[in-house]
Amino acid sequence: MTSAPITFGRPWRVAFHIICLALCLSVLVPMALVVGTAFKPANEIYDLSLWPSQPTLANFGRLFGETEFLLYMWNSLATTFLRVVAQLAIAILAAYAFARWHFTGSTLSFALTLGAMMIPHQLVMIPIYIMIAELGWFDTWAALIIPNLAMPFAVFLLRQHMMSFPKELLDAAEMDGAGPLTALWRIMLPNLGPALAALTIVLSIDCWNEYFWPMLVIDSPGARTVQLGIREFLEENFEDFGALMAGVTIASLPVLLVFFLLQRRIMETFVASGLKG
Amino acid sequence: MDGTTAVAAARPPVRAGRPRFRALVPWLYLAPLLAPLILFVYWPLLHTAWLSLVRWNLQPGQATEFVGLANYAGVLESSLFADASWNSMIYVLAAIPLKVLLPLPVAVFLWSLGRAGGTYRTILFLPTLISFVIVAVVVGWMLNPIAGHVTALLSWLGMGFANPLATPDGAIITIIVLSAWKVFGFNVLLYLAGLASIRRDLIEAMRLDGASDWVILRRLIWPLLSPTTFFVLIATVIFSLQQVFTPIDILTEGGPENGTTNFFYMVYQLAFRTFDIGRGAAGTVLLFLLLLVITLLKLRVLEKRVHYQQ
Repeated sequence: MTSAPITFGRPWRVAFHIICLALCLSVLVPMALVVGTAFKPANEIYDLSLWPSQPTLANFGRLFGETEFLLYMWNSLATTFLRVVAQLAIAILAAYAFARWHFTGSTLSFALTLGAMMIPHQLVMIPIYIMIAELGWFDTWAALIIPNLAMPFAVFLLRQHMMSFPKELLDAAEMDGAGPLTALWRIMLPNLGPALAALTIVLSIDCWNEYFWPMLVIDSPGARTVQLGIREFLEENFEDFGALMAGVTIASLPVLLVFFLLQRRIMETFVASGLKG
Repeated sequence: MDGTTAVAAARPPVRAGRPRFRALVPWLYLAPLLAPLILFVYWPLLHTAWLSLVRWNLQPGQATEFVGLANYAGVLESSLFADASWNSMIYVLAAIPLKVLLPLPVAVFLWSLGRAGGTYRTILFLPTLISFVIVAVVVGWMLNPIAGHVTALLSWLGMGFANPLATPDGAIITIIVLSAWKVFGFNVLLYLAGLASIRRDLIEAMRLDGASDWVILRRLIWPLLSPTTFFVLIATVIFSLQQVFTPIDILTEGGPENGTTNFFYMVYQLAFRTFDIGRGAAGTVLLFLLLLVITLLKLRVLEKRVHYQQ
């Protein structure tokens, strides 16, 4: 590590440390409060303490016993898995075509892909809603997965990585008789490991956390995702905050765990994705 | 994006030999991407433009009636549109100091810490990972007038407390603060990425010439960082319009008295609360035009700033 690019004077350093500590506390204290409340017995729920004096698993018991939370988890996990696998397959093939070949229409196709990055869901919701109604897809996994198959930012990111890959290796493979698909599968993909891993995680978090789309196309409890389930708890069991915070803890846990596995790469991929909420 | 054409030209054309089949190959790779893009992005945009010209209440049997630009007039004259415009402006204006200006000095400070700033950076990034549903639900819980911890804390301090979500001003401030909390660390990260690309030897050279830290910050780092700053600004403007949809829907549903609704939520209210598809579509087209202007502005300014590249 080289020396610090800028060295603030001591008073500035102290002031900035205080600001950063305050900001970090604003992140950590609510998180600790949520997790603490998830383990609090009923008589301590309203206490200000961060951690219960008598920790209990009763909230989790009620969450899984008296609500359909397990089903919501299954819906979220299964649709996230299926959707991300499909998104990756589509993005890999398209990125490979864009990185490898220049052909009539490739510039236009790429422009269409980039243009779609600027179109949020709310701008296309009405026609897709009508489409899903006509297909009878409300309350199905298909309604969650199929309209979200194309992920332009994933195509863009993978294309960047693929273009920095030495083309001679791919050409050499094709000289030896391998088709372009074999070259992609055997030579390109194994070298994209870390980028693909981070992209997979970012796409999964994106899908797991999604609210607007599921809210639009899912109504019946049987097809609810975790995020929809949590919102319903706030409206239905308004007084059972222990179970609610247990649900919030479980819904956030997979995302945080996965993040700490590949922390640095994930932050880079988030930056590359432009903006993720 | 700038290098696209140059790099594309350097790529070899699709290999010769059985030319007709060869020319088709790339399209086989692109079809799985282009089909959903056309079906679920570009066709719906055109369809929305058409729907904005008709009157329809989403009933399948009901015939649509062509009404020309009446839906646009209806949207533009409504008090909902006036409220949504005003609130959208408030969201954006509040975002600039909280989400664009404040993260910058924090990022410069973390940058100056080098590796030691890593813990701060990671902790500040965590809200990006937590879903907006959960952020909104937890805020709703903490502000709950009976069971909320904010209520309990304030009464413990001997202060009374009114739920801010019950008043228009309190509600919009709540949503502004929680959305700033959510995106702050992400914007710090964007600035850090920009700072990391500044060449150290330029800083060293200025330092050898006797420049102070303050002069280096103002004369070198601020101008070199301006493309990043501008990117953060545009991204934050769009974020502040779009992403607050979730907390609005969960905490206030646009209320009280339309006090928190914005353009994105208004479009949803028109189409799926009042089932006025024509007006919903007209609002969507207007919103699309607004986003288009912002995007074109971004492309234009980013092109002009290229001369700052090192």
